[in-house]
Amino acid sequence: MKPLNRREFMKGSIGAAAMFTAFSQATVRGANEKVIMGVMGLGGRGTQLAEWFAMRPDVEIAYLCDPDTRRFARAREAVEEAQNKRTTLVQDFRKILDDSRVDAVVNATPDHWHGLGTIMACQAGKDVYVEKPMSHNVWEGRKMIEAARKYKRVVQVGMQSRSAPYTKKAKEYIESGKLGDVYVVRVFNMMQHAKQKAVADQPVPEGFDYDIWCGPAPKLPYNPSHRWLNQWEYSCGPIPGDAVHQLDLARYLLNDIPYPKAVSHAGGVCSLKDGRETPDTQLALFDYGALTLMLEAALWTPYMTKTPTALRDKDRFPNWSFNGTRVEVLGTEGFMHYGRHGDGWQAYDAQGELVRSEYGRQADKEHQDNFIECIRTRKKATADVEIGHQTALLCHMANISYRVGNQRLEFDPQTQTFTNNDQANKFLKREYRAPWIVPETV
Amino acid sequence: MKSQRLLLCLSIALVCCTRSFSQWMEISDVTFRREATEMAGPKIIIEYDLKDPNVSQALPAYVFVRYSRDSGKSWQLVTMDSLQGNGFDIVERPGHKQITWWGTAETSFSDANQVRVRVRGIAMARVPAGKFFMKSLPGGGHDDSKEITPEPELAQFYMARCETTVSMYADYLNEAGGYGAGWNARMANADRCGIVQNEDKTYRVEPGRANYPVAYVSWYDAADFLRWCGLRLPTEAEWEKALRGGIYLDGDEAKKKLNPKPERRYPWGDESPDEGGVFRCNFDGEADGFAYTSPVGSFSKFSSPYGICDLAGNMAEWTLDWYSTSFHAGLDGFRMVRGGSWMAVPAACDAITGATQLPLKESSIMGFRGVRVPRPLN
Repeated sequence: MKPLNRREFMKGSIGAAAMFTAFSQATVRGANEKVIMGVMGLGGRGTQLAEWFAMRPDVEIAYLCDPDTRRFARAREAVEEAQNKRTTLVQDFRKILDDSRVDAVVNATPDHWHGLGTIMACQAGKDVYVEKPMSHNVWEGRKMIEAARKYKRVVQVGMQSRSAPYTKKAKEYIESGKLGDVYVVRVFNMMQHAKQKAVADQPVPEGFDYDIWCGPAPKLPYNPSHRWLNQWEYSCGPIPGDAVHQLDLARYLLNDIPYPKAVSHAGGVCSLKDGRETPDTQLALFDYGALTLMLEAALWTPYMTKTPTALRDKDRFPNWSFNGTRVEVLGTEGFMHYGRHGDGWQAYDAQGELVRSEYGRQADKEHQDNFIECIRTRKKATADVEIGHQTALLCHMANISYRVGNQRLEFDPQTQTFTNNDQANKFLKREYRAPWIVPETV
Repeated sequence: MKSQRLLLCLSIALVCCTRSFSQWMEISDVTFRREATEMAGPKIIIEYDLKDPNVSQALPAYVFVRYSRDSGKSWQLVTMDSLQGNGFDIVERPGHKQITWWGTAETSFSDANQVRVRVRGIAMARVPAGKFFMKSLPGGGHDDSKEITPEPELAQFYMARCETTVSMYADYLNEAGGYGAGWNARMANADRCGIVQNEDKTYRVEPGRANYPVAYVSWYDAADFLRWCGLRLPTEAEWEKALRGGIYLDGDEAKKKLNPKPERRYPWGDESPDEGGVFRCNFDGEADGFAYTSPVGSFSKFSSPYGICDLAGNMAEWTLDWYSTSFHAGLDGFRMVRGGSWMAVPAACDAITGATQLPLKESSIMGFRGVRVPRPLN
């Protein structure tokens, strides 16, 4: 038998989420059927989303937007190759909003632009696909819901595992009672990050509109060694920003448990002492009354990993003990391992015997399909803005508990404030930098 | 045996027509013969002419030899360790060259009539050892534990003066591309690349495309081509030093030629690529004379201090370096790409802008070139 050449081998190794996807590329696209989109934020994720949407016969990417013009070429090449049509590059996303032809905006900016970007897009009559974590703070998450409802917009949050068939099967298995009564769910987010290597502040590079990049956040001195992900002003933190997927999955598996009553937190910066503000260790307990959700997260654990890209979307299970992004569901009669990246799930009985296994596939395509479909049907998306808010809330609660000194905080879901700590309430909303202000009335 | 005691001269004249290797250096009149030795086993003598008068210490040729023992069905690289003479690896003078190839397993051909040899050369530039100003934050390199030093030091190395061209890559495909790896259908696009697969799975270059940089090559394609030559991809540090020059252009040992602009933004200095209406590299738009890629060396007037072309613009170039996973754990396995491209804004064609990219990505704006780092003598 002829051995596979390198290209064939790699094709077989890559799942649906990567290069050689299952997207069909029709040569003729009905002009009346296409959803016209703009993408704001051309980092790694934004470029990937732009390319995937551009490959769809029912979508045209009319705009690509980033304040940094040096990012244009990579995304433009991918989109124009995929859709065989030119796209317009802009630094100011308002040009997308001003164009009445545009139906929808993809928001893949850093966290600090998710809120206002989504709200302004809703105000402009655009549907939105906004990356996770949905909001930078609790208050703006509520404003995002208000804007979506007021302007009757579809807002899909980029928590795509929710759209995966294997995830639904896991939920159904739990609902069927085979695990018994579930009182504890553990969510893991453990991996190895490296230290930032500090250099001096630098002048803003040519072609980069740093002012609009900072947007609603303070305009801190430009320093490329300070990653936005590790700064409170621009980010929900490197742990919650990633753990939000697993937190959302945990909520979904338990039929979307609503708001927790309280949060406790332990942890801080233990290992990656490079001047960062955001913790590299976060152990959070979310008290739902009958149920406790535990987040166990660290960024200094090299033996814990995400499933490597080449091993995702296969008929295989990870080495669960060392899988850094798994969810564990503990019931009175059984136990479940669930894996995030198309890793599938496995259930065990009271004797610890494996009784059920289900392989998985990542669901970027299903999630994008759902968004496009909802644009047409006007139904609520799978990861609707309200669901996105309830999950992002967990990130914010854990962070706020840490920032007030690892204090236990009690939460009132009606007012969405903390009832036992005024200092904590100050973190529910940020100071917005003019003119990029989220208004009280959206 | 008598035959081993006598000097056997099997002259198998294999003239490697330079026309089929355009963009390789001009290497002509290649001959090879086998000679027995008394005690060391048979040796092969390869001779050729390297006529390019510009070959020098600063601008040498990198010469490598590939051989076949089955009449050209399959080929292998001759390792440099097996070679002696003045005509292999870094060659610093033009003229008549002789390589002696020692070996037992390789050179004891059962049927000498089935042996073929191909000698190819790549135009290189020497980057002498020494310090340079590294102004970018590299993506992570190989060792995250190392601190960034603003004046890192590199050993002497050689870099290809031009991006790998369509004709060079097509030649590689025809020799090594038997199973179809290394080529994809998009390469047939004559505006962007121009390598077409024939029905018999050989490859041809579209008319007029020979001197254009190859496109739609994944990182693996680039790495495989360079391994085939006996080269490798540059690290980000090597790439940046090649663009900007060392603090001393003749290196830290000589220290006579100070770099007038050791912190320059672009290979030619600090002027923007289109300043004063002069176009110094191939970037986005047609004003520079090229809607898409340009033939390699089209902007040779604006090369780096070492005479290396098209580091700014034309094709963005794969490097050897990983993107560190420290900042966003989702970017596991990404490689760093340097230099702007024919689609980039002028500011992106500078010394420090890098992009991350999945190694499987095949793109009309990404190409590559190789480096040779000689083994240190001590």
